[in-house]
Amino acid sequence: MNWYVVTENLGQYAAGARLTLLLTVVSLLLAFCLAVPLAFARNSADRRISGAVQVYTTLFRGTPLLVQLFLIYFGLAQFGWLRASILWPWLSSPLVCAILTFVLNSGAYTTEIFAGGLRAIPKGEVEAARACGFSPLQAARRILIPAMLTRALPLYGNEVIMMLHATSLASTVTLLEVTGVARNLTLNYYIQLEPYAAAALIYLGLTAVLVGGFQILEARHARYLRLRR
Amino acid sequence: MKRLSACLAAMVALAVPAHAETLRIATDATFPPFESLDADGKLVGYDIDLMTAVCKAAALACDIQPAAWDGMIPGLMQGKYDALISQLTVTDQRRKIIAFSDIYSHPIFRFVARKDSGIDISPEGLAGKTIAVQTGTPMDKFVTAEFPKAKIKRYDSGSATYLDLTGGRADVTISYEAQIRYSFLKSPEGADYALTGPRYTGEDSPELGEGVAIALNKRDPELVKAVNAGLAKIREDGTLAALNKTYFGD
Repeated sequence: MNWYVVTENLGQYAAGARLTLLLTVVSLLLAFCLAVPLAFARNSADRRISGAVQVYTTLFRGTPLLVQLFLIYFGLAQFGWLRASILWPWLSSPLVCAILTFVLNSGAYTTEIFAGGLRAIPKGEVEAARACGFSPLQAARRILIPAMLTRALPLYGNEVIMMLHATSLASTVTLLEVTGVARNLTLNYYIQLEPYAAAALIYLGLTAVLVGGFQILEARHARYLRLRR
Repeated sequence: MKRLSACLAAMVALAVPAHAETLRIATDATFPPFESLDADGKLVGYDIDLMTAVCKAAALACDIQPAAWDGMIPGLMQGKYDALISQLTVTDQRRKIIAFSDIYSHPIFRFVARKDSGIDISPEGLAGKTIAVQTGTPMDKFVTAEFPKAKIKRYDSGSATYLDLTGGRADVTISYEAQIRYSFLKSPEGADYALTGPRYTGEDSPELGEGVAIALNKRDPELVKAVNAGLAKIREDGTLAALNKTYFGD
């Protein structure tokens, strides 16, 4: 076995893990901010609004993430007007393109998860908020969003883990996150088991932390739902 | 005891390479005009024709299959493939782990940039500039060693480097001169681009290797001999010269 390849390059793996975490955290935060209003729009009584959101979620859930990444990274670069625009300094960056893709993809899944969470809220809770004289915005902020998040927590936990694993695709657009580092070592040392096994262990560790975190959140915030059953 | 002897005999028989069966030959089909997939998904190119001719000359049954660049050399070492043909340059590092046939060509490496870029191909001229290169290739090692102040972007395939060159994310890319001249510059996307800077060979840098050869498994010296015999035969009968003329006009 050639584990020296891994031990000699721990610095590269550490840098890769930092980039993996950056991609995951930033993408999830932005996707969350996108998904919360879209979840309300998805459940809107106005068919045009809910339909528009459904088109977006269907588009991004119905196509592979790798294809989306290539379309955004390589595809956008083919438009001359875009390269001449003020957006190009950002869109020319593989990091920005990767985050944009992950945000749009995760945003689509998270929108549907949160929309389902909203639909699961008993009508009585909404009516109680109205009876207390809450404005729609107050009701959303104080009642609906917390209740939605609580109900969506288990599914959202899965989405967070999926997002962490999906960041491995960023290596295809020159970013040296954990998988990119492993691939680089494979190409330089002509071995595959050890570099990818080390990458798998890093992902496993990060996943374990996330799973633990979501278990704590569920125990703290969603316990009343289990007691109700 | 008889059963044990039979098992041992079978293991020995399996351990000794027998070339009655079809040889599995891998190629990274993203590098025209050397190896690529045509509209029907069929492997085409100089290396494909050369390997087919070598197999015919050496009376070997060969199956050439597309493979991912990063898995090719490990795959050869693990016995997933019997040979690799993909413009593989012979380097000291590679010689330690795999065998090579006789060298069949000596490539020239060149940079390509926009015609109006005015880029000076030198360590100072490329300082702060972005070089697009296929990862894990001799060109990758060469630019890393020779242009330390440049920003190097590494890609999984040879063709992806051109996408970012034309997309404006890279200032230059480096590849085999023949590959740039007979593939990229002939495409509509390559109209505004030109070869630039010096012509580099293995003599300029050990990173660029001694030349191009067919990669084989060190544990199979018989196959190395057979492939070399096939190469010698196509050299003698003019097949190799005809291939060079067909693809590169020389």
